[in-house]
Amino acid sequence: MSLKNDAFPSSVAFDAIKAALESSPAEKKDAIKKGGAIFAFTLKNKEGKQESWYVDLKKSGAVGSGTAPEGEKPGVTLLMSDEDFGKLIDGKANSQKLFMSGKLKIRGDMMKATKMEPILKKAKTQSKL
Amino acid sequence: MSFFGGAECSTAGNPLSQFSKHVQDDKSLQRDRMVGRGPGGLQEGIRNQSMGGGQEQMMDDFMQHQAQIPQGPGPASPFAMEQMRRELEQAAAHRSGSPGWAAEFNPGLEAERPMEPGMAGAKATGFSAAEFARYQQASPNGMARAASPTTSGPGMMAGFHRPMGYSGMGMGMGMNGMGMGMGMMGGNYSPMNQQQETMSKGKERMVELDDRDWEEQFKQLETADQSQLDEQANAAMEAELSDIDRSVPSEANEFGDFESVWKRIQAETANARAMVDEEQRFSEGMHTGDMDQWEGFDGLNTHSLSRDPQLGDYLFEEQNVFKDVIDPFSEGVKIMDEGGNLSLAALAFEAAVQKDPQHVEAWVKLGAAQAQNEKESPAIRALEQALKVDPSNLEALMGLAVSYTNEGYDSTAYRTLERWVATKYPSLIKEPLSNGADIGFTDRHALHEKVTNLFIEAAQLSPSGEHMDPDVQVGLGVLFYGAEEYDKAVDCFGAALASTESGTTNQRSQVHLLWNRLGATLANSGRSEEAIDAYERALALRPNFVRARYNLGVSCINIGCLEEAAQHLLGALAMHKVVEREGREKAKEMMGGNMDDQELDRLVSQNESTNLLDTLRRVFSQMNRRDLGEKVWPNMDVDVFRKEFDF
Repeated sequence: MSLKNDAFPSSVAFDAIKAALESSPAEKKDAIKKGGAIFAFTLKNKEGKQESWYVDLKKSGAVGSGTAPEGEKPGVTLLMSDEDFGKLIDGKANSQKLFMSGKLKIRGDMMKATKMEPILKKAKTQSKL
Repeated sequence: MSFFGGAECSTAGNPLSQFSKHVQDDKSLQRDRMVGRGPGGLQEGIRNQSMGGGQEQMMDDFMQHQAQIPQGPGPASPFAMEQMRRELEQAAAHRSGSPGWAAEFNPGLEAERPMEPGMAGAKATGFSAAEFARYQQASPNGMARAASPTTSGPGMMAGFHRPMGYSGMGMGMGMNGMGMGMGMMGGNYSPMNQQQETMSKGKERMVELDDRDWEEQFKQLETADQSQLDEQANAAMEAELSDIDRSVPSEANEFGDFESVWKRIQAETANARAMVDEEQRFSEGMHTGDMDQWEGFDGLNTHSLSRDPQLGDYLFEEQNVFKDVIDPFSEGVKIMDEGGNLSLAALAFEAAVQKDPQHVEAWVKLGAAQAQNEKESPAIRALEQALKVDPSNLEALMGLAVSYTNEGYDSTAYRTLERWVATKYPSLIKEPLSNGADIGFTDRHALHEKVTNLFIEAAQLSPSGEHMDPDVQVGLGVLFYGAEEYDKAVDCFGAALASTESGTTNQRSQVHLLWNRLGATLANSGRSEEAIDAYERALALRPNFVRARYNLGVSCINIGCLEEAAQHLLGALAMHKVVEREGREKAKEMMGGNMDDQELDRLVSQNESTNLLDTLRRVFSQMNRRDLGEKVWPNMDVDVFRKEFDF
């Protein structure tokens, strides 16, 4: 099942994150160790519609639609535009700068939000010199 | 009052000029973000009434007060001395919060040391009102969140929340605030002299955060997990306390309850006076101790960045067809030069170094072959081995720096490059090389800067244009790549490619590496399409260049061409497997056909590339082909995918 929502082009990244987490158990363990919370992403597209996805790095390592898995609450919610999220994933923007310029809003534990960056990096495989 | 007049009124000592430095700083960005977030205004901690106003006003107010001061104590006069005294004691307690850090983050303070006592208080007015306000405002957002139920003593500064004291940022704030008070009072009241003495110690701790420091601290704070932070801070406090007062070292262990400890510290304030001369050594001690614990705290990389990777010795394949070849080294060189299979070449070099462990060239070539073969860990092991035999082997140093960068051991990579430049351009080295073990968060940044500067100097030594030293350019490219300054890295690799001067990195047998490095840099900066061009150039030169093929696959994933990505990755894996077939034939030739097929299957098992397999699994799962993903295992038969993919 694809998590991508066509109205939100950048949401393809959630599929990538999911794939990255599932590619090996070690990867997943590592991500859970580093993340340690449920991260919710609420994206807003150009039409002003909002949609949420979560990355559960507290227990399961699952990625899904909605703000959290059933019966759970997100530890931190990141709100931004679909476009900015795409840039973040591409490495063309950095979360700290987005936050500083008000394009990224954080609800919940900001400390945890900072743990999200390495997870987002997983959405993109790094090339090797 | 010595506030304005007199000899002390130097640029450095004049509080007004200090202050204006801060005011003139453009802080609009930070203020934008931070102001107005929490309960407004400063709290009771600062006794100056007008200081309690909105933080926007505050600076103006402060400026005006500066002007009033010469006429007398001014607004500060109604101020209760008793309270002041208490605060001073608290300030002393504060400083035990984390002075080491304060010093760490503001090396510039050293320079202020020679201030005479009379100026001590005045000096404190270097306090930046804006920043204080900012931190106050920022606290509800982040730092103070976890403000544990510690004491909020009467008249205490709002800054005295536990996590803030620990964070170093809070420390700066606390002391700044304190300095403010003293600045107003200092020098006017003789009863204050005693306190002022305390203060003069305090002032050395004063943190005048500038933009850069602030960002760094903020970053560090952000990345630190609160619980870990507490833990670390406790440890740091402990170390510090035993330093402060060695007579009660054991008590430092009972650190569970901050409050009790805090009270104890208060009682020790008197002792603290004796500390003045200890201070220097003390903060030095804290410096390393403290930063050490922060090691790896940024959490952005898989590895602890400041430690050398401990990969251990090179693991040899158990079965090696070259074992009985007379000169495996030249066999290997031949395979490499012909663009033959890299796994096979690696086996040849393995045999060579097994024959003669002192054969540096063979180790270097082995490392190079493994790296090109997308087997990073064996590559690092081999190159480290080469350096053990010959610490100044330029090729090994450069290769190692690249591999470390790929694996995220940034500071180790920087140090390796530093060694490289020290070997090739010894004239540039003016200070001893950085040593390994303890590199802290800020040091890592400084190290990068230092090594980059060395390389730039080295680049300036060589003539410009086409005759520049391509190796220096490659080193510089790797450095920029490590710092994620991809545009600059692209320029460097491009320059190395354009250079006609012959170096080790642009020999004809190495050009494909350069194209690949250029490609990887482009890819990581989000220019996947251009990267693919570069990879194709590399592969045109060396069709067996597994790493380029892997990178090509990665770029295909990133632009969403999953099918192609799978093809490239499978192609790369197939190249690993070729060695089995070729090796099998070769082995049969040599052993006269007496070798068991099963044994041969295990031939290339030691140094599998998990990286390739993981990436392939990712592609399949992104394609929603879980069924295929399940087939991806070490030693799988890549041919099962042939019916799905063309590679």
